Amino acid sequence: MNCNKARVLMSCALDGELTSKEEQEFLLHLSECQECSREFTEAKKTKMIIREKIVRFKAPQALVDSIIRLGALSSPSAEETILYDQLT
Amino acid sequence: MIPGESPYKVLKPVMDTQESSEKKKQKKGRESLSREEIKKQQEFQEEAVAHINSLYNYALHLTMNPDDAEDLVQETYLKAYKFFNSFERGTNCKAWLFKILKNNYINRFRKNSREPGKVDYDLIKDFYHSIKDVRSDTSEADSDYFHSLMHEEVYQALQSLPEEFREVIQLCDIEGFTYEEIANMVESPIGTVRSRLYRGRKLLRGQLENYARKYGFNTNSEE
Repeated sequence: MNCNKARVLMSCALDGELTSKEEQEFLLHLSECQECSREFTEAKKTKMIIREKIVRFKAPQALVDSIIRLGALSSPSAEETILYDQLT
Repeated sequence: MIPGESPYKVLKPVMDTQESSEKKKQKKGRESLSREEIKKQQEFQEEAVAHINSLYNYALHLTMNPDDAEDLVQETYLKAYKFFNSFERGTNCKAWLFKILKNNYINRFRKNSREPGKVDYDLIKDFYHSIKDVRSDTSEADSDYFHSLMHEEVYQALQSLPEEFREVIQLCDIEGFTYEEIANMVESPIGTVRSRLYRGRKLLRGQLENYARKYGFNTNSEE
């Protein structure tokens, strides 16, 4: 494998999207090429930063409640049934 | 099962009005939910509602505004419920919901939104600042300058990328979709997703290094 091919496969390698054969060849190339190996390390780090630093928020409870009601089963009244029907 | 007020209050403003009157008339005759309907609701609960936090975060990234994000998620679920029968069972429901949300966003928000590529960071920054960061630092993180990066820096760097790059990074790194799922969502071949991820991450790395340099960290050190 040359550097061009390794770069094409770099993101796949990072995201677990390589076949086992491709992975073997990719890792072999990294063991022989310092430049690609360095780039792969940097790419891994970047992915880790995004995963760890981007703050995730919980959806507001009012929103969750309103969504849950879409699928509520609490023996709906006739009135609610009409509402569900209108929605579906 | 779910306590609370009548669903009218919440759902009425966004109810779909395009349904043919004939269909409505036919439906109104029924007194109770059919077995199919009950099954659908059960499945919807199990499959779709579980992804609400992910959808909300994705909507926040797209709209940069908490109120719009809520509207977008609500619309998405209404549409998803309406078309839940066409959801292919056994496939990734989260990916299906994301695609609906994205389409809704394009149809509704993008037309009258801010200039493309320009992000009102101040708007979202206030929101983020109003919420306490509950994430703790992990010991896995390197001891180099990346460790000192905060959410704001990473978020800004991500937002500064052209949309086609930002989008695939979000879907892959934050939401954990496979390339195939992402390709389907952004309607591009897998090879395009792959190269956008590669280039996007390189751009992002450059941005992060700029921040690091600004704060006097040495960015040349390896591991």
